[in-house]
Amino acid sequence: MVAVARRSVLIGGAVGAGLLAAGCTAGGPSGRAPTTPAPPDPLLAELADERRLIAGYDATIERHPGLRARLTAVRDDHAAHAAALVTALGPAAPPSPTTPAPTDSPTASTGASPTASPTTSSTASSTASSGASPGAASSTGIESSGAGTGIPATPAAAVAALRAAERAAAAARGTVALTAPPDRARLLAGISASEASHVAVLA
Amino acid sequence: MTAPAPTPTGTGTPTATPSPTPSGTGQVQALQAGLAAEHAVIWGYGVVGAHAGDALLAQVRDADDAHRTLRDETVALVARYGGSSVATEPEYALPFPVTDRGSALRLAVHLEDGAAAAWRYAVAATDDVAVRRAALVALSDAAVRATRWRLALHTTPATVPFPGD
Repeated sequence: MVAVARRSVLIGGAVGAGLLAAGCTAGGPSGRAPTTPAPPDPLLAELADERRLIAGYDATIERHPGLRARLTAVRDDHAAHAAALVTALGPAAPPSPTTPAPTDSPTASTGASPTASPTTSSTASSTASSGASPGAASSTGIESSGAGTGIPATPAAAVAALRAAERAAAAARGTVALTAPPDRARLLAGISASEASHVAVLA
Repeated sequence: MTAPAPTPTGTGTPTATPSPTPSGTGQVQALQAGLAAEHAVIWGYGVVGAHAGDALLAQVRDADDAHRTLRDETVALVARYGGSSVATEPEYALPFPVTDRGSALRLAVHLEDGAAAAWRYAVAATDDVAVRRAALVALSDAAVRATRWRLALHTTPATVPFPGD
């Protein structure tokens, strides 16, 4: 956590001051340190969201194999997004607990809501929720498809759910890009645009 | 160079502060990169329209209109930030000969990819939130249009993980 916080402060540009303040409150008075650590790296929420999307595509393909040809390339885009986010996060990246590998069907049930978010932001749940509000909005749409049983029964409905998830993801990534440092803004903007184009493919 | 467009910035936004740096840095440079690309894209769509065929004419016209609107908005934004807009070139070099529907569509993809690259650069070139937002929208729109052209071409995959790379 501490490493994450420091890194955010160093990179966080305009947000840095806020993070510093938060860090002081948390670390300074010692006592409440575990309850209010500095906010997690904002990219963590985006990475978790990408992994939920990947799980959602995997579960959808499993439920509707006929969609495989149409969905695989889009799923692969998300795998590239997740890999790039891991690179950008550096040491702060979580060790891919909800593995983006297609073998997550058994764990997908638990992967619904709690899995990805707490992995790294565990103690910061309260802080994270505010910071990740756009991501959270998108996750709700994705969660239903992420849980194996939550995939809509018809292929058309399943694709519609993915389309909604892509739209939310594009908005979430775009929002974070607005205030991110240049390198990260470039990365997030590219991901956001890619997800916007996914909506066109799923139309 | 002479900002020939009528720059009364009538685009509604109340922040008509023509001060050089209202809130951030790099806005003009970022916008000019996008604007230069839009000039080229608009020129290119003229070539696309000449070869794409009647069936795609409406789609070409929509794309062309969208880019012209974006150009005008960008010109206004450059003026608002105190810059004078880069002018269009009289002619641009085509990346490959355009002779039929297929090559016209490939040119359309190429144009949108170029616009995406310029606007993605613009996102990182400024920390001004308003300019970044405009660049993000332009980038996304270009990525979506590139994908639609790839779909028309039956190119697979029709999307890329990082438009503008």
